[in-house]
Amino acid sequence: MAGQSDSELSLFSAEELEFTAEDEIVEIVPNLKMPPLNLISGDFGPFTPQIVTKVPLWLAVALKKRGKCSICPPQWMSLEKLTQVLEAERDSQEMSEQLPFHYVEISRLLFEHARDNIPDVYMVRSLIEDIRDVRFHKVETDLEAFSGRTIAVKIKNLSAMEVNIVRPFIGRALQAFYKHDSPELIPDPERVSDNRPQVVNNAPRATSKITFQVTCHIES
Amino acid sequence: MTKYYDIDDIITEEETVSVIFQKAASGVGIDPSAEIDFIEAGSKVELPFWLAHELQLRQAVSVNVPPCFNQKTRLEIQADSASVDLRSRCPFFYEFGCKIAPIVADRTIGFLLFSAFKSRYKEVLTKAHTATFTAGSKFWTILTKEEINLYETAQSAMASFKKWRMGGARFQVASILRRKRKSTE
Repeated sequence: MAGQSDSELSLFSAEELEFTAEDEIVEIVPNLKMPPLNLISGDFGPFTPQIVTKVPLWLAVALKKRGKCSICPPQWMSLEKLTQVLEAERDSQEMSEQLPFHYVEISRLLFEHARDNIPDVYMVRSLIEDIRDVRFHKVETDLEAFSGRTIAVKIKNLSAMEVNIVRPFIGRALQAFYKHDSPELIPDPERVSDNRPQVVNNAPRATSKITFQVTCHIES
Repeated sequence: MTKYYDIDDIITEEETVSVIFQKAASGVGIDPSAEIDFIEAGSKVELPFWLAHELQLRQAVSVNVPPCFNQKTRLEIQADSASVDLRSRCPFFYEFGCKIAPIVADRTIGFLLFSAFKSRYKEVLTKAHTATFTAGSKFWTILTKEEINLYETAQSAMASFKKWRMGGARFQVASILRRKRKSTE
């Protein structure tokens, strides 16, 4: 699965995520007559002109490319809904749960292959970009909470692409934190934990005295 | 032994530390300009870390705290850790710190490394995902090698996402196929 990715820590490339997202179900309006397709993931069809039917995104894109259907954009890809989501995202630090897990991938696929089926495509596109930016900024703010003793951060409703972008960075950062917070390097974290803020503030100053003594000892 | 072939690890151990010889050593020409190949006990010599470590294990030398962990650096890190140029002091500040701490028996280096990383991490986090390459290039001259690795991981993840979003050929044409088509044209 991870064959395409170059970095050892990044599990998926963006293309691989897009591939996963293509299993999401969308509605299409076919303009051909075709018996049902019996696939491993389920039966799709029958296809009758002007009758709405549900198919996986990859099939919808394949049919669309051949001009055999028009894709109905999902509910959440409407101007009103996206404006509402953007407002919600801006208002709170929580991530909104109104968008699907693969919204970045689905919207990109639809923009690329089914531009003519999406009403107000330019507005929709820029709204989704804005939402993504706002959400990503929130993720960054949340990640600032890492400080060695905070070993986990709870971020709800993170989408597939967002988590994939920060995954390699977080992996390495946590490894570094783990390394520098290990008990061999920092003795007795329990002892200092009861009045930690003060100790942390004083630590470098107090410590330098000890170093000074050590060096004196060596030099004398 | 796991890091035996790790270039970064080798370079880290090349870092020089100043040591004081506890025993006299003869037949060692550590300084090529010295007139005699003999080192008296108590003389101060700069040695690469890997050699100093081995000699220290045999109690031949005592190792001083290297200058990159001295009082001045500590104060600077305390004041504004994000803008301290750690790279010029020691390109592998954290790795080297982890290695030197048990040898100089200074338990405070661990604290120093941890608090430095903790506050510098935030800086790397905010710059790595947003700053473009040219804007970031000035910033990353002060980062240590470990921080640069972190920074580049984030940058490459962001770059590959942007590349995907811009689109382009979905499937790459195998080089053999492309050549064939060219030859027929």
